[in-house]
Order: sequence, then structure tokens, then C-alpha cells
Amino acid sequence: MKDMLIEERAAMEDVKISARDVNVWYGDNHAIKDVSVEIADKTVTAFIGPSGCGKSTFLRCINRMNDTIDVARVEGTITLDGQDIYDPKVDPVQLRAMVGMVFQKPNPFPKSIYDNIAYGPRIHGLAKNKAELDDIVENSLRRGAIWNEVKDRLNEPGTGLSGGQQQRLCIARAIATEPEVLLMDEPCSALDPIATAQVEELIDELRASYSVIIVTHSMQQAARVSQRTAFFHLGSLVEYGQTDSIFTNPDDPRTESYITGRIG
Amino acid sequence: MTDTTAGPGKSSLSTLDPRTRKRNAAEKRFRAYGIAAIAVSLLFLAILLGTIIRNGLPAFQQSFITLPVLLDEAKLDKNGNRDPADLAKVTTFGYGPLIDKALQAHVVSLGIDSRFTKPKEFNALLSSSAAAEIRDYVLANPDSIGTTVEFNLLAASRVDGYLKGRVSRDSVARDKSIDAEHLDLVDALRDDGTIRKGFNWDFITGADASESRPEQAGMGVAMLGSFFMMLVVLALSLPIGVAASIYLEEFAAKNWLNDLIEVNISNLAAVPSIVFGILGLAVFIQFAHLPQSAPLVGGLVLTLMTLPTIIIATRASLKAVPPSIRDAALGVGASKMQTVFHHVLPLAMPGILTGTIIGLAQALGETAPLLLIGMVGYIASNYPTSIAEGFLNPNSAMPAQIYEWAKRADPAYYERAWGGIIVLLLFLMAMNIIAILLRRKFERRW
Repeated sequence: MKDMLIEERAAMEDVKISARDVNVWYGDNHAIKDVSVEIADKTVTAFIGPSGCGKSTFLRCINRMNDTIDVARVEGTITLDGQDIYDPKVDPVQLRAMVGMVFQKPNPFPKSIYDNIAYGPRIHGLAKNKAELDDIVENSLRRGAIWNEVKDRLNEPGTGLSGGQQQRLCIARAIATEPEVLLMDEPCSALDPIATAQVEELIDELRASYSVIIVTHSMQQAARVSQRTAFFHLGSLVEYGQTDSIFTNPDDPRTESYITGRIG
Repeated sequence: MTDTTAGPGKSSLSTLDPRTRKRNAAEKRFRAYGIAAIAVSLLFLAILLGTIIRNGLPAFQQSFITLPVLLDEAKLDKNGNRDPADLAKVTTFGYGPLIDKALQAHVVSLGIDSRFTKPKEFNALLSSSAAAEIRDYVLANPDSIGTTVEFNLLAASRVDGYLKGRVSRDSVARDKSIDAEHLDLVDALRDDGTIRKGFNWDFITGADASESRPEQAGMGVAMLGSFFMMLVVLALSLPIGVAASIYLEEFAAKNWLNDLIEVNISNLAAVPSIVFGILGLAVFIQFAHLPQSAPLVGGLVLTLMTLPTIIIATRASLKAVPPSIRDAALGVGASKMQTVFHHVLPLAMPGILTGTIIGLAQALGETAPLLLIGMVGYIASNYPTSIAEGFLNPNSAMPAQIYEWAKRADPAYYERAWGGIIVLLLFLMAMNIIAILLRRKFERRW
């Protein structure tokens, strides 16, 4: 068993995150059951599954956002570059600067576009002076593929942008703190098809620099943007592998039922 | 597929079926009830405001007698050397005859027929504050002694009441301080322009006066008492209330202890204010030995009363900040405190400020607790001379002053009580307008 895991690990390009026997309870509700998964660097990994299957919950374990929920309890180990992120010595605030997150609903701060991006670098002390901060803001907005649309109105409120622009702004905001992993919780579910296409294109570009994990309801989206896919069902990880093989040749009958539309 | 509202069987769209007709009728009835309810409340509001204004406005007008007074050197400065110590020795009793004589002389010079021959008989027209007013003038301007100076003196409250229609010839018949001939004289002096009504600044800036001279009483000192109290309330209840709310709302674990605290804060908001008053009496005055009747103590008591209001309003506005903003801040690696202070608190600010101002307005209008700590009655006739005195010297507050006036026998004080209510309402209105402006200014959409 152990040997096989090592082999599997060797087969993967470069493991960024490794989860072992993760269980999550919300009060008495056992939301995540014994999930073990290894996530590669510089890859887009998609979590798919029907509503309530635990994919978002598991995502929120990776940057310890579940800590903010009083009744949530997490067991098992998750490592980032070999370091246990649930180690008592780890400060979740520091972790979240390394593991950025983009949420389902675009949630820019009700501040200027500039301040939206600059907030993270400011609180983490990433810029020594105003010029450096300006550079970070410009770079982040460029990598968020929104620079051309907002460069002339950096002082206008971020909430005045369209939904798709807001979501790209949020992605740029997450990038600005120089994370190593980017978590995206259904980033396109509130967007129209054109905005979705833009964000998907952006995700594909981000793959070059980050390990991206995206939770999605849309199987087409998972197929379009991800290299690896994990299928969750009722709190368990049912199947995990190359996206192509999950969609064309699933091992588990439940996965097949889901992708052919019989459950979910 | 099919339209179900038409019911079974075919029916035309242009004729209403009974169900629709009934539903529409119910809707119309409900609207009528609503309009009726609003009309009734507007009517009551109009009656209330109308009564207050009708009864209170006269208090802002006061009758004055313009009178040239000879400042007789023989009476005021026997030694003739203008020594301030000598001048101060002449009490207001020394000035009384001067004024009476001046009034008599003035009446005679106008050629008004009067049965009064003795100067003292003219005294009833003038406020007993007149002597003090002239004395203050002489002490400030010793060089004026020996000259004739024109003074604008307060008329007696009966004269004022007669000009305002409060005192009639019938009521004067039973009055020992003034009689019908005086009123004839008042009529003549009014026609002449010697007695006229003017805006009563003293009512707004002055101090309370003794029972016998309502024409002199004003709200100014009580207003200062209220002001110092509000400073104490603001300085204590805003930081304590907001800090408590932030802790309870954002940091405290959800357990039975905090639930209990929450329930009790809500209960405190419903505790009658007089309970806080007796608590203040026991704790601040009898136990801590803080000075009685001091705005500091009043402010402490009102702080206890205001805290629950501020905490409830602050928690509500913190709750109203969407959780997505907290997620966003935590997501970029802000700590809990950074999240609260950089993002949640600014967004909750309009609600917090509104709640605070409403709490302050409530405290400003509170009377009952002040009665128990002695901030009522004729206790401060002078302005405090320093900020420390403002906090620690005995004083009253606006609502307590109004209560005190309403209690007094003289109808002139009744009029002043209404006038005081207008002043208080203006303050409350101003605070509400500030609350609205602040909310407008800080309101942001997300």
C-alpha cells in the first residue's frame, strides 16, 4: 500500500499539496470522509461532484478557511510542500497569504480598484514604497487579464465593475500576495458565458505559475480547464486522475453516472 | 401549460371572476386601512406640534420696558471717588427706588394720567431683576454714575402675561401683586412704545430664576448641563459599546455564556430609566462619593442607559456587513482584527453612528434618572467658569428643567415649560438630521 503511494507520487510531476485521511465535521454532520489526495504543482485540478458532496468544504480546508466556522472540526493531515498546515505552529493568516482564494460570488472590497489589489501586499509588507506597490498592482492586474480595462480608472470603486471584471479583479487581488496555490470556489457560477470564457482563459494562463484548484459544478468547465479531476460524492473522494480518463473512461460506476447525468 | 387562474370552465378575460373580484377588494381595503392609519398618525403629530408651538412660542417673546434712569451719584457713590469697593457696597435694594422714580418720571413726562403718586406703586410693572441688571451695569461702567442711561428692562411677568393675553382684568382682581390700574398704565405705555415685546435671548442663554421672577428664567445653564452630560455619555458609551459589540459579534465563541450575555443586554435596553437612576444614586453618589447633582454623575447614569442601545445597534450593523467581505479579507491573509478594523467596521460605521446618535438623543431627553441623582430644581444660577466646574458643579439638564418649570405655580412658568420643550425638540431634531447626514455620507454600496 505504502509502496504504491510512493510510486504514484513519483509518477506525478511535482506534488504541491498532499492530503491524508482528511475528515471534516460540521457539528454532527460528517461532511468529508477519509479523503486522501495529492495535488500537483503548475497544474489545474478540478473538484467536481453534485451539490453538498463536500468539494467546497475540502477546498476550504486547504487554506484553513474552515477555522472561521465555529462548529467545523478538521482531522487528518494536509501538507503544503511537505509542511503540515494544521500544525499548531502554523499561523493560518500566514498560510492564507501563500494559498490565495477566489470565491463563488465576486467580492471586491468597496474600495478603489487600486486599493483592492494593494490591500494584501500592504498588510504583508510586500512593497517598500509607493513605486513598488504601483508595480505590484500593475503586474497583478496584468496577470489577472484586466489591466487594459481598468488602467485608466484605478481610483474608481471596484464594486462599479461588471461581474466578470469583478471576478478577474478578485483573482488579481489573490495573485497580488504572491501565493503558491490558488483556490477557486466555483469562480464562474455567477458569470455570463463570455465572462466565464475570459476567466477560464485566465485560469489556463495561471497554470504556468501556480497550482490551481478549481471547484466547479460544470463538467464541461472541468474538462476545458483542468488537467486532473477529482470526483466527490457524499463526502468521499470517489475517483481522482487525469481529466481525460475521468471523462472518457471512468473507473467507478458512480463517476460514470454523474458525468452521464444520472446523478447530481 | 394551461392558465389556472381562469378556474374550471371557459371564461372571458374581460369579466372578473368572483375570486379575483374578492381578492382585488381585499387589496383595496388593506390599502385604505394603511392610508387611514397614516392619516391618523399625521393628525396626532400635527395636533402635538401645533399645541407645542402655540403654547411654547410666547416664551421666546418677552416684554421689555425702555426706561431712561438717572444714576444718582448721591445714592450710588456717596464718597464720589468711584471706588469699586464702595460701589459694590450698594446692594440691589439701593437701586430699587432709583428705578421706581425713573418710571414715575417717565410716565409723568409722557403726560399719562395715573392715580399712582408714590414711586413704589410703579414697581409692579418691572421685574425684580431690573435692580440687579442696573447694578451690574454700574459696576462695569462706574463713569456712568451721575448720567441718565437708557435701559431695556424686563417687565414683570404679570405685565408680560397681560400683553400676551395670559393675564386678564378678571384674573388681576384676585392678584395681590398687580391691579387693574396698573394694566391701564401698561396699555398707555404700550401705545407709547415704552413697553414692547422683543425676542427673548435670555430664555435661551439665561439661568433658571427664583419662583417669583419667571420673566428672568432661561434654559442656558441647563443646556450646558445637558451638554456636559452628553460629553460624558459620548466619551464612555461609544468606545465601550462599540468595543463590546465587536467582541461579541466577531470574536466571541457561540456558547451559552455569550448567549446569556446577549439576552441580558437586550433586557437591559428595556429596563425603566428610573432603575438606572437609583442605581446611580447608590453606586456613584452614596458609594463612590461623587458630587451630587453633577453632570458627571448624570452622564455616568445615562451611559449605563445608553450602552444597550448602542450595543444593539452596533451589533445589528456589524451583522449586516456581508460575510463575503470577511471572506475576501481573510482570503488575502488579513488577520481577524485586520478584517474587522479595515473592512467590517468602516462598512458598519453609518449604522453605528446612527445608533449612537439615537442613543444620545434618548439620553438627552431622559428625566427620571436625573431626578434621583438631584439634577433638578433651582440649583445653578450661574454658568460654570471652567470645564472642570462644568462636569462637577451642581447643574440641571434640559428635560429636568422643563419638569421643574411645569411643577411651579406661576402660569408664566407653564409657558416656559412649553418653550423649553421646543428647545429640546430642536436639539433632538438637529441630532436626527446629523444622524441622517452621517448615514448618507458614509453609506456605501457593496
